[in-house]
Amino acid sequence: MTVTPTAASVWPQLEPVLTGVRKPARYVGGEGNAVVKDHAGVTSAWLLIYPDAYELGQPNQGLQILYEVLNERPATVAERGYAPWPDMEQVMREKAIPFFRLENHLPLRAFDVAAFSLATELGYTNLLNCLDLGGLAVAGADHVDERRHRLGVGRRVPAWYEPGHSSDGRLRGTFPRQRAAPYRVPKRTVSDLDRWPYPKKAIVRLTETVHERYNVKIFRGGTRGCCFCQAGMTTRPVRERSRQTIKEMVRRGVEATGFEDAGVVGPAQTEQADLLGLCGDLADAYEGTATSLSLPSTRVDAFNVTLADELIRNGRRTGLTFAPEVGSERVRRVINKMVSEADMLRAADTAFANRWRPPQAVLHDRPADRDRRRRARRRRPGAEGPGRRPPVRPPQQGHRLGRRLRAQAAQAVPVGRPGNAAAAAAQARPHQGPGRVRAQPEPALPPAAAGGGGGAAGPRRPPGDGHGAARVPAGARFDGWDEHFDYGVWARAAEQTGVDVAWYTTPQRGEGGVFPWDHLDSGLEKDWLWRDWCDALAGSELEDCRWTPCYDCGVCPGLGPQHQTGHLPIYAGPR
Amino acid sequence: MRVRARYTKSGKLRFISAIDLGRVWERALRRAGLPIAYSEGFSPHPRVSFPDGLRVLTAVEVAAGDPKLARWLQASCWDLSYSPAAVGWLAQAVAAVAAAPVLSVQRERKATSDLVDLRPALHQISRRDATVRVTLHHVEPPLRPSEAHAALRGHAEASTEPLLVTRLAQRRPCAAGLQEALTGDVIPPLGDPSRNDKDSYSD
Repeated sequence: MTVTPTAASVWPQLEPVLTGVRKPARYVGGEGNAVVKDHAGVTSAWLLIYPDAYELGQPNQGLQILYEVLNERPATVAERGYAPWPDMEQVMREKAIPFFRLENHLPLRAFDVAAFSLATELGYTNLLNCLDLGGLAVAGADHVDERRHRLGVGRRVPAWYEPGHSSDGRLRGTFPRQRAAPYRVPKRTVSDLDRWPYPKKAIVRLTETVHERYNVKIFRGGTRGCCFCQAGMTTRPVRERSRQTIKEMVRRGVEATGFEDAGVVGPAQTEQADLLGLCGDLADAYEGTATSLSLPSTRVDAFNVTLADELIRNGRRTGLTFAPEVGSERVRRVINKMVSEADMLRAADTAFANRWRPPQAVLHDRPADRDRRRRARRRRPGAEGPGRRPPVRPPQQGHRLGRRLRAQAAQAVPVGRPGNAAAAAAQARPHQGPGRVRAQPEPALPPAAAGGGGGAAGPRRPPGDGHGAARVPAGARFDGWDEHFDYGVWARAAEQTGVDVAWYTTPQRGEGGVFPWDHLDSGLEKDWLWRDWCDALAGSELEDCRWTPCYDCGVCPGLGPQHQTGHLPIYAGPR
Repeated sequence: MRVRARYTKSGKLRFISAIDLGRVWERALRRAGLPIAYSEGFSPHPRVSFPDGLRVLTAVEVAAGDPKLARWLQASCWDLSYSPAAVGWLAQAVAAVAAAPVLSVQRERKATSDLVDLRPALHQISRRDATVRVTLHHVEPPLRPSEAHAALRGHAEASTEPLLVTRLAQRRPCAAGLQEALTGDVIPPLGDPSRNDKDSYSD
């Protein structure tokens, strides 16, 4: 199949095939607050790609913000593209319809800059597949016209960098090829979020997505230091929005979108010093209206009766999600999720007492778990039998209320993320066979995580390959979706290219270990990340540096902005 | 106050599902901040911003005792537009369908496939060029325009799928065509210019 690049809209080819694919509304564009500009009047055209299905990608805040900021510039246009679902992709390949953007259905090629979000390693194959559908070579930046394909985040131009390997195939580092390229690319940090109240006009979806609400980030950057949270590390320092700005954003955002639900979000957002006051104000403003408020992810320890009551004042209860992350106390200390079982039970008691729906607890399979006695908890939480009990015991309160209790738990395997202390962790070997997460008698890594790990820590250049960069394993796409993930595709691709995935994923990285992303500078000191990982393995907890002395992670002195939490002088812990 | 509105769902918007359409309406009305949202200026107009393709054509207040929509709307008028090349087989198929005493078509459901007779539900069928207009009584279970296409296909040697299927109006079949619910306008059948069939216009 060859996709012919063309600057004309693909709509005439697309329209007749849309009735034959699932959920065609995700390919038509035309949403409220979408910006359609004439390309004749602009000097730069951007394509923002979220390499997953529209339902998943559209609510992404980062791309929404870039979309607005770019489109506010008169001579710039930003347009959106999402991965077509496999049924649509098949039709597109049959009919030679190239990857297109939603605003005007122009093909992928008609842009100056393509930017994309790689929120999960399992999206890597989708991105490559999108570029392939757009008729771009995916075998490496060497083969494409650099002038047009400045792919990447920030100001990094991949074609300007190349990996260097030592004689045994080990990565020595990623080095600039051009004098203009810096050795380390610093991240850019917005220091005053009150001056950047985005999104202002979120896209009003025509079809349902995973998050149907207007979300406001109440702060950026996390200092709790959870070992597996990339955002909590790479987005430091903490920058909070003021209560006034958040209220104004919610008011205007709800007005501009017609959403019924306003969410105040941030990494473990109940850390925001002023949250209770904020929720009280918002509850005042929306009491008696159809607008409901939600806290999409809540730290168990900070949740309390008062906060719950504020949120339900207008009578609507949206879901509550707690993220204790893991079932064992010891491993919670390892990943620095400073939440005790007592905290969780107290929070669950509070939730039930206030007649919330059964809370959803997000639990991950545990890294570095040497505690065999507790291994039974790895099994499906609903399973009954000796040695199997739910990771979170149903609170007594629930029994007193006579409610039918259900504990739900999602299982996933954490993978050390770029820029995070746990990137040094060795990963288990994948077991063979179908199924992503299965109850295994022996500790075993589900294959999806091995795929993810391979993507995160894997080669930019397969050993022994003259010039190729990472390739799409033929047929791999939507790897984050159970129904499409196929470990066999990865295994075959690794075999064909001579890549030993385990060689990359299973060694424990030592002090000074080299990662493919070392040239991307998030401000964190590498030796601090290593110390943090050593502390984690020793089970010693790291306090939040907003109210304990600085432990010198490196971000604040380097980037200028300090933590900005000045809305309450001292945070006295959860009230 | 209850209002009945007649609206379009056309263009790119036609691909959104019935469930999604409800949400689109809700958000459009919330964004407008009804019931008091009027633009300021010399000639105030309601500030409702609908997506392209969603357009309110008529709206009337519902009076107490008005019949429920499901009972009130008795028939629908549909246009099936084919590619111009289809004129050949359509001319023959429309004539055959109009004359057939029984119109057996396969009805595909998720698990089953039954034969149904379209004839009792088919009020009128007419054609101009490559567009076929059918008026279908609302029967239980409802008949879809795709089943009218299936009947045409069954009366042709070779057929092509319609490019666009549009519901023009709903309410009540009449001799002159179909009478629309809120405006009372009559949608006439299509005349075939080649036959210069004046009869289909007159009543």
